[in-house]
Amino acid sequence: MKIQEHEAKIIFQGSGIKVPQGVMIQRGDDYHKTIASLGDEIVVKAQVDIGGRGKAGGVLMATQKTAPDTIQELFGRTIKGLVVNRVLVEERLRIEHEYYVSITIDRARKMPVILFADTGGVDIEETAKQDPEALRRAYIHPLLTDVPLYIRRYLIGNAPKELGETINQLYKAFIANDALLAEINPLVTTKEGVYAADAKLIIDDNALFRQGIKENRDLNERERLAEDHGFSFVELEGTIGVIGNGAGLTMATVDLITNSGGTPANFLDVGGGADKDRVSFAVRLLGDVPRVSVIVVNLLGGITRCDEVAKGIVEAGVSQKIVVRLAGTNEEEGRRILKEHGYTMLDTMEEVVTAAVRAAI
Amino acid sequence: MIYADKNTGIIVQGATGRQGSFHINLMNQYAREVGGTGVVAGVTPGKGGTIVHDIPVYSSVRDAIKNHDATTTVMFVPGSAAGDSIMEAADAGIELVVAVTEHIPVHDVMRAIAYADTKGCQVIGPNCPGILSPGECSLGIMPSHLYRRGNVGVISRSGTLTYEVVHELSRAGIGQSTVVGIGGDPVIGQTFVDVIHRFFEDTETKAVVLLGELGGNLEEEGALTAQECDIPVVVFIAGTTAPPEKRMGHAGAIVSGGEGDAITKIKRLQAIGIPVASRLSTIPSIIQELL
Repeated sequence: MKIQEHEAKIIFQGSGIKVPQGVMIQRGDDYHKTIASLGDEIVVKAQVDIGGRGKAGGVLMATQKTAPDTIQELFGRTIKGLVVNRVLVEERLRIEHEYYVSITIDRARKMPVILFADTGGVDIEETAKQDPEALRRAYIHPLLTDVPLYIRRYLIGNAPKELGETINQLYKAFIANDALLAEINPLVTTKEGVYAADAKLIIDDNALFRQGIKENRDLNERERLAEDHGFSFVELEGTIGVIGNGAGLTMATVDLITNSGGTPANFLDVGGGADKDRVSFAVRLLGDVPRVSVIVVNLLGGITRCDEVAKGIVEAGVSQKIVVRLAGTNEEEGRRILKEHGYTMLDTMEEVVTAAVRAAI
Repeated sequence: MIYADKNTGIIVQGATGRQGSFHINLMNQYAREVGGTGVVAGVTPGKGGTIVHDIPVYSSVRDAIKNHDATTTVMFVPGSAAGDSIMEAADAGIELVVAVTEHIPVHDVMRAIAYADTKGCQVIGPNCPGILSPGECSLGIMPSHLYRRGNVGVISRSGTLTYEVVHELSRAGIGQSTVVGIGGDPVIGQTFVDVIHRFFEDTETKAVVLLGELGGNLEEEGALTAQECDIPVVVFIAGTTAPPEKRMGHAGAIVSGGEGDAITKIKRLQAIGIPVASRLSTIPSIIQELL
């Protein structure tokens, strides 16, 4: 789950990283007194979950005098399609130099990887292309609790040595918060020390339970409802609803629909143990989506009870056409139930997808 | 076959839970069918002394292997405790952990795999259906009735996608040597590369099906390894139509930072001369040509 800048800054501060003084403002808040302590020159930043915010006009410079107009202006903007409901007002730092630092997980090496660059505040992928020497990379063994000194020295090169300490503090925050990404861009030096001028944090969805986060804000309402039932659900834009078991098979079904000339409406993986109630709920979830004209059910598993699944489909009673492929135990009974209620059951994934694409046109 | 055979003694961690006990029964049914050893003991902390499907349960892996001959565990422990359970198994001297568990925090997975590595213990998964060598041994939750013995190896990041392909292969009369589900998480123990190396040493395996999906670039590395080892391979990549930055069921199936989208993967594979199946249903005929 993505954490917004102001929350990420509070978390980084907890690990000892300095952040600019700031005030969060919601639409409609009375902020005139609270921002007075930030000094004359200030920065106003839209709090939206999207990269490239600066370029899209989400960060504005202001003074105490121009602040009301600037804040009003930002609340009126949409940044890459997202409405601005919260802005962060911060003191403007007297920046001497900008750096880049991030920590992610390297899947092939199975360990955290730290990236550091002498040039911050810009697109790091561009830096990597134009000046590979400016970007340094180090892998940290997962059993280490600190970044060893020699690695810190390697990463920062000739930059002030305080930056090495900041890297270590960020690493500790990365571990303690079950992060998939912890990034500071730019990380800046001023006369007063090293500051995180921006902050980005993504927390592992599998660890939200121990990070005190009850609700995954990355999901829309229907996706969250599905997750509460133990499903994985992603909304797409087409007209053919998809229900499968297992991520790979469901993805392959979505792909096959597209490759056969149809447009998938969603990805819905009902996971293992697809019983009557779960299948019924899944079918109704898609049945409620107006653009869905036909639903493909593709369930395969040794222990899937086909008669139960068939009952669930019938019980859902949605208006859309449903084409079904089931393989598991009690297949014949499942086929009989579906046929009795006018549903089609086919033998292979290809057949079921072809039938759905034809029905959707 | 690779990783395990008829003689492999198996322990199940998380034996008394619904999933654990259910699959102990299925794994042992299969062991009886093929005349193999199967599951010899279960482990659930605090439940030592109980019995699950005629199998004795112990409170720790150490206690279990003190009383039984076992080198391998299959794990159904819940995600919040599973990282620890992998380390417990490694510490007790287990050589292979098959972690079926889904939703383990990725930091726990990294630490557990790194720790297991220091003990010479290998990890399959997590978030995987396990390993099945037809006629020899089932470690995990794969539906054995779809499988038949032969000389094609299968490696996959996904459970049901594997069953789909195995089903198609078997129907086309193409048997399997070993089918390995390596798991759908971003960080996993044995990768495509590791399993390809195993197949290279296996005299039975003549060709390999590699079933991948979007996210990361381990499919490319695996296919490249197969090419270097001179093992004929066909690849399928799921998720060609997935939107960026969205997690497609598996924690590892996400395009992030512009890395790992399925179409780029396919292009890279084709560029190095690896056959890529555009549809699952074409895999048996492509394999037939490679054999």
